[in-house]
Amino acid sequence: MTEERICVGAISGSFGVRGEVRLKSFCADPEAIGDYAPLYSEDGTKTYTLQITRAVKGGFAAKLSGLTTKEEADAMKGTRLFANRDALPDLPDDEFYHTDLIGLEVLDTGGKSLGHVRAVHNHGASDLLEIHGPNLKATVLLPFTNDAVPTVDLTAGRIIADPPEGLIPDE
Amino acid sequence: MSRSVWKGPFVDSYVLKKAEKTRESGRNEVIKIWSRRSTILPQFVGLTFGVYNGQKHIPVNVSEDMIGQKFGEYAPTRTYYGHAADKKAKRK
Repeated sequence: MTEERICVGAISGSFGVRGEVRLKSFCADPEAIGDYAPLYSEDGTKTYTLQITRAVKGGFAAKLSGLTTKEEADAMKGTRLFANRDALPDLPDDEFYHTDLIGLEVLDTGGKSLGHVRAVHNHGASDLLEIHGPNLKATVLLPFTNDAVPTVDLTAGRIIADPPEGLIPDE
Repeated sequence: MSRSVWKGPFVDSYVLKKAEKTRESGRNEVIKIWSRRSTILPQFVGLTFGVYNGQKHIPVNVSEDMIGQKFGEYAPTRTYYGHAADKKAKRK
């Protein structure tokens, strides 16, 4: 069984001549990438420990285990870094990681499938689930509120939605 | 130059009418609007507007801290799909 891993950053090049890399963090708090070590390569064959040395334009300079020369750091350009899903801290009720929500099946209150969650957005008002389904012409944005999404069942991999009138186009 | 205070906040009249109608009916529905320039007023709190972004209507749940802003600020016209990483969503 393979462990679930999520992409938390990428290497955008080398920094300096001592084997440091430029690191781009995808985390909500960019510096938190260091807390999720060990990090893995995309195929999971290589493991890295990470030490952030300083902030640079567009990310951080960091020391990765096993890299000692600039040439080695240059060769890492474009590598995406993954962390174990288990490394993320537990969240209180009613708070979910985007990575857990993406891919869940969305059912209406009658049990009819509306589609799957493709992405989670936040434009400043509230979180929105982007739902993509075979019966939908375009993606639908569903407010992630207790009224519109009464049930989130991560173990069953589904969401029960009660969308407001006019949100889901009639077939 | 900012808007004169004596004029009051700008709101397209059809937005006011639609909001009033929905509030009176008490139905849970998305109020579709195209007016991104309208100011969010206190009487809109608790309603859900579908603000047009040039392509589709983005649902915007109006809360108290949004009063005085424009609807368009909550419906961006460009979509950015970043990495999910450790980002969190809170159900309110």
